[in-house]
Amino acid sequence: MKNKLSRFAVPYVVWMAIFVVAPIVIMVLYAFASRDGGFTLENFAKLGSFAGVFARSFELALIATAVCLLIGYPVSYYMSREGASFQRMAMVLIMLPMWMNFLLRTYSWITILDNNGLLNQLFAKIGLIALYNRLTGSDLTYFPMMNTQGAVVLGMVYNYLPFMILPIYSVIVKLDGSLLEAARDLGANTATVFRKVILPLSLPGVLSGITMVFVPSVSTFAISQMLGGGTELLLGDLIERQFLGGSYNPQLGAAISLVMMVIVVVCMLVMNRFGEGEEQAVML
Amino acid sequence: MNAQRKANGFGNRFLMGLVFFFLYAPIFILIIFSFNAGTSSSVWRGFSLNWYHALLNNRLILTSVYTTLMVSLLATVIATVAGTFAAIGFYSMRRRSRDALMAVNNIPMMNADIVTGVSLCLLFVVFFNGWESFATWLNGVQSAVTLPTRLSLGFGTMLIAHVCFNIPYVILAVGPKLRQMDRNLIDAAQDLGCTWMQAFWKVVIPEIKPGIVSGALTAFTMSVDDFIISYFTAGSSTSTLAMTIYGMTKKRVSPQINAVSTLLFVTVLLLLVIINVRESQQQKRVVRGAVKVTAPKKPGRTVVLLRRVAAGALACVLAVVLIVTGQAAAARPVVNVCSWGEYIDEDLIAEFEETTGIAVNYQTVESNEALYSLIEMGGADFDVIVPSDYMIARLISEGMLAELDFDNIPNYVLIDDNYKGLNYDPQNKYTVPYAWGTLGIIYNTTMVDEEITSWDAMFDPKYAGQVLMINNSRDALAAALLDLGYSINTTDESELQEAFRRLRQAKDQGVYQAFVMDQVFQKMEGGNAAIAMYYAGDYLTMLENNEDLAFVIPDEGSNWFVDAMCVLKSAQHKAEAEAWINFIASTSSSLANMDYIWYASPNTEALAEYPDYYLELYEEELDPELYEIMAAPSEVLERCEIYEDLPKATLALYNDLWNQLGI
Repeated sequence: MKNKLSRFAVPYVVWMAIFVVAPIVIMVLYAFASRDGGFTLENFAKLGSFAGVFARSFELALIATAVCLLIGYPVSYYMSREGASFQRMAMVLIMLPMWMNFLLRTYSWITILDNNGLLNQLFAKIGLIALYNRLTGSDLTYFPMMNTQGAVVLGMVYNYLPFMILPIYSVIVKLDGSLLEAARDLGANTATVFRKVILPLSLPGVLSGITMVFVPSVSTFAISQMLGGGTELLLGDLIERQFLGGSYNPQLGAAISLVMMVIVVVCMLVMNRFGEGEEQAVML
Repeated sequence: MNAQRKANGFGNRFLMGLVFFFLYAPIFILIIFSFNAGTSSSVWRGFSLNWYHALLNNRLILTSVYTTLMVSLLATVIATVAGTFAAIGFYSMRRRSRDALMAVNNIPMMNADIVTGVSLCLLFVVFFNGWESFATWLNGVQSAVTLPTRLSLGFGTMLIAHVCFNIPYVILAVGPKLRQMDRNLIDAAQDLGCTWMQAFWKVVIPEIKPGIVSGALTAFTMSVDDFIISYFTAGSSTSTLAMTIYGMTKKRVSPQINAVSTLLFVTVLLLLVIINVRESQQQKRVVRGAVKVTAPKKPGRTVVLLRRVAAGALACVLAVVLIVTGQAAAARPVVNVCSWGEYIDEDLIAEFEETTGIAVNYQTVESNEALYSLIEMGGADFDVIVPSDYMIARLISEGMLAELDFDNIPNYVLIDDNYKGLNYDPQNKYTVPYAWGTLGIIYNTTMVDEEITSWDAMFDPKYAGQVLMINNSRDALAAALLDLGYSINTTDESELQEAFRRLRQAKDQGVYQAFVMDQVFQKMEGGNAAIAMYYAGDYLTMLENNEDLAFVIPDEGSNWFVDAMCVLKSAQHKAEAEAWINFIASTSSSLANMDYIWYASPNTEALAEYPDYYLELYEEELDPELYEIMAAPSEVLERCEIYEDLPKATLALYNDLWNQLGI
């Protein structure tokens, strides 16, 4: 019967060949082509000048992932300790923002963070800015929060935090309670139980969460366009420029995309070494 | 099990509360501002429901919501079914083949959205080109079957793209459930007399149902929120809500979008609450033991049959509705227009549709370069486009524009001679001017101590952090070139490098708050920046929302431009395109448009009559200074240059410099 069942996969394999492999092949062809159609390596040669962009993107993505993990893990853990009705409501509340358009939610942050936006207006009204000026001797009329790398990281954390919380939560909540009981019976206190039982067992969830936050963070362009100001490009911005105008050069764009894809795949492979076993955390 | 865990202390609860507040703060602000009486997204002007009213009349947004739901539901259903079967197939494979195939399967998830979108678009374009050759050959060789030769991007390609990135999520959700399933169950079922098929449907599927449901939900969420893959694969006639919002976030998000998002949010919230309440009620009943947990009563044969017939009938009805509406849409004459953001009075679109019966698909694009790249990639099937002078010159030289049949455009005689025979179309064969204007500096008089008179202001460290530089290569380098005293059409590499260094130095000194195009509206109106460079008509729009703004064409001179309507050579609806152009060129349309977009029309009568038109409409006189900004007099135009198309080598240099500037 097993053989029969494996035939189910055949249509999908054909689909993947057409719609997943073929586009990648086309990308590769573009990456090695010059504007006139001949074979060339100049697109990859140009990548050297963009090393700063690569570094910046990966740095920001790592920071965003770390922040998501620092916030998301405790929240998932505490959530799993609450009663069942609270947990249900909390799941709903966490999933709900994902249904509001992602662009719109990011756009809202512009309203909040802008130089004359809601937060700055609030700070001015309650005298926080005047206090800061007195303490540090500077002469600000507002706190510059928009168009900074910090705002971009904030945008990434805001949009991808649920993707960190949900996988970790779904793994922790399914942990066999008897394991925890057994640990306590053997004399462990809460901290040790956490460190030696819960933490290692929740690793698949953590890895799943990291993947789901890191990958979109590295390649985002909407967030950096809206919150970052465009003065310091990220990878996504650079690629977007090559394809959607500004500097129309699809060959260069394809080369950058390929390199980014390879780096991300390598990172994922390295990370999966840490999480052996086929237990992958599901999101919901 | 939960009883064994210590309950959370106050600190932990506070942390969770903070996180939820963080997640919801922007959403609440969105919802609150959907009730804002003004147009701004950050300045509250009082409570009002008019955006909800406007939403019900806004055909574009409603069509987008409909398209989004259609494509997302269909893609989810297809992806869930296909993904479940694929997951089952993978589960039964040998470990090595499974790992290899799973790696390929994960590629759409690992890849950046934009890369997936572009590569799929290229794939479709390659396929369409091949199909065209094949169909032409087949039609020539026999006459029994006539194949359509030209396919274009549309709902179908977008659906394929959505299914493509949804399936991996379904597989990823179903896979673990399959692995967790006890294989002995299937054997047990077969031992008890089930056939293989029955075992599959009655044992395997129910076991993995939670995975299927969660996969379907994830797929639906991803599908609804996607904008970039849709953007590249939907073509010019289809638009999802996310795509519409993406276009809007580049300029100004109309509060109608806040309204539609609030409605969607409330709907989803209610749905989720209802589902959860039902679940918790069921659990409570079981826990209380008030109801004995018995096996659910099996419905009788007739009921089962009726249910199946009803489901089948519903599916048929859905299919028929889709096909019929598709056909109806295809049968109606249509024209695909691509223009700039906030560049038309939308009542004109409705008027045109009513008087001629031709449906208008109106899309916007951010810059000339973005338009060019869309056309180059082959993914655009626009009929009418409205590029600027220099881009028209490039399109003509590359043979991408069709010659217009001016017999179909009698209103062409109304266009002023000043805007005919310009350098981009010297023989007036391809274009009909749409609007013209000037580029200048806009500044907030309360945030700047002195009057601005020179392009120096765009590079001055005195204004660090307060200057918005324009986000396209041509205009940005032009500002630097003008400041240095060079021509904006120079091909001299040393001059361009000097201009680049001027920009680079200013950027490194922190002069620029951001590089913006239409985001400039919100920033200047809200008082978030002091100085920007943008176009005259847009300044007048900003002035409506912030009276402290002033506009100046600097002493060194500036650029004046003409945006003109032209028809792509590959257009499928030439007659309708020319009807649209004729309609826009008429005096009444020109007057209405001038009034709405604040750009000067090239129509002679409209230019002359506009002050009177304004007086009649608003019962107050049009400030002559404003009118001068809108329709610059010849003394001002003489200080301005019009862009010319540049040779390929210079364009390549522009691209390089533009990339380098952002690093």
